[in-house]
Amino acid sequence: MKTLSLRNLGKTYFDPYAGAHVTAVHDVSLDVQQGEFVSVVGPSGCGKTTILNMIAGFIPHSKGEILLDGTPVNGPGPERGVVFQSFALFPWKTVLDNVGFGPKMRGVPKAERDRIARDYLALAGLSHAANRYPNELSGGMQQRVGVVRALANEPAVLLMDEPFAAVDAQTRMTLQEELTRIWQDRKPTVLFITHDVGEAVFLANRVVVLSKGRILDEVAVDLPRPRVWDQLVDDDEFKRLSAQVLQMVRAA
Amino acid sequence: MRGAASLAGSAMFVAPLLALLAIWAIVVPLFEVNPRVFPSIGAVGGAALDSIRDGTLIAHIGASLLRVGLGTLIGIATAVPLGVAMGVSPTVAAFLTPLFRFFSVLAGIAWIPIATLWFGYGFGAIVFVIFNAVFFVVTYNTLLGVQTIPHTLRNAAWSLGAGRWAMLTEVLLPGALPNIVTGIRTGLGFAWRGLIAAEMIATNVGLGYMLFVARDFYRTEVIVFGMIVIGVLWLLIDRLILVRIERATIERWGMVRRA
Ligand SMILES: Nc1ncnc2c1ncn2[C@@H]1O[C@H](COP(=O)(O)OP(=O)(O)OP(=O)(O)O)[C@@H](O)[C@H]1O
Ligand SMILES: [Mg+2]
Repeated sequence: MKTLSLRNLGKTYFDPYAGAHVTAVHDVSLDVQQGEFVSVVGPSGCGKTTILNMIAGFIPHSKGEILLDGTPVNGPGPERGVVFQSFALFPWKTVLDNVGFGPKMRGVPKAERDRIARDYLALAGLSHAANRYPNELSGGMQQRVGVVRALANEPAVLLMDEPFAAVDAQTRMTLQEELTRIWQDRKPTVLFITHDVGEAVFLANRVVVLSKGRILDEVAVDLPRPRVWDQLVDDDEFKRLSAQVLQMVRAA
Repeated sequence: MRGAASLAGSAMFVAPLLALLAIWAIVVPLFEVNPRVFPSIGAVGGAALDSIRDGTLIAHIGASLLRVGLGTLIGIATAVPLGVAMGVSPTVAAFLTPLFRFFSVLAGIAWIPIATLWFGYGFGAIVFVIFNAVFFVVTYNTLLGVQTIPHTLRNAAWSLGAGRWAMLTEVLLPGALPNIVTGIRTGLGFAWRGLIAAEMIATNVGLGYMLFVARDFYRTEVIVFGMIVIGVLWLLIDRLILVRIERATIERWGMVRRA
């Protein structure tokens, strides 16, 4: 049973220009169960990216603990996959080699990792783009690659920081629908960060509201799956949950 | 389609050179220019045929290319690892950057006097000058290349399980390649000029030597022919090797705009 646990997590930055300490994350405790999809929402500057970067191991935390299956995490590792807002695909690798990068790092032989990569590309409807370079793809396609590249490594938890913020609104809705479909198919554990309330509710089993470095409240989302925007825009429960979360965020 | 485009590109490239030849063909006979000042096309053609027939041209070109090739290879082989090593440590990079910028400007010709003191007149001094021209420029550009790799790419590789070695070979080297290639082009330009200058002083074979000796005998047709060979060889190296490497890698990856 793989679970991610944050125990009284805190982060204080030192700002060399201001010559002062800034506490971005005060005290965050959160458990994410295996196979759960948790969204974290909150206003700009409330510490969302800081939390994700600490879990990913990109920056050290100042206090508390980050446990994966009871073991403290230390630095970045393949058991915590990351999907970046800026895609962060390797421009010098084909789509296939980008997706096969994680398996390659694990020492999976070429033929086998190509098979894994093709499998995941098919999942994202990208089989035709396997031999192209990232710069030859649209933003939406690039981020599909970003998502399956992280998934192909079969991480215990998938960390996503506003992954769809850089694509246009229509593409974003398609990507959100695809992500829920992929989630249902593979049941990865996901921590998804966004400031878009509709997106948070649409995707998650549970929405956590963050305010000034603390968890304000959380809301369970039991909407049926598969979730598609055409149905949910007019769904009363979706509207009620979104309004509830929005109210919390605005009060934050 | 591609063939036609590249043919048109070649025509655009050759046209101004042909125009220059035409002006030369008209102006020299028209003003009856003294051959000790500037040769006619015919005389240069004659010098070309002579040097091809008696094998001196190939000897000069061979000697020059060997020196450039060797100096460049040593330069790249040492500069790229050093540039990467400097690039991964911000402190080291900050400390050494001004130094390498300083030596990049000095690269090549300015080192000829001291190189002849260290290595004597000959092969060693010339190869050193070329190595030196390539080394500082390529190191500096590699360093710059590593520093400009977006940090998220390193984070991405890291969180996908890359260790130090994979980070180097899969991220830092390819990520720095656009700058490395720029560095090699600039460095080779310096090296080529340094080669000609060094060969005038420090040897008895090579294209620079060919120009230098011809001057003593007022053989302007040999001098001009040598200059043409030097220019054409440089263009061939640039277009057939460097530009092709760029096309196959960084242009394909979208890391530079097609010129
Ligand atoms: N490297 C840093 N040094 C100093 N302060 C920082 C640093 N990174 C973030 N901060 C500060 O920490 C706070 C939280 O930043 P963070 O990026 O985590 O917010 P966020 O919730 O992700 O915001 P957004 O929605 O705009 O992305 C902000 O006040 C920010 O200015
Ligand atoms: Mg953020």
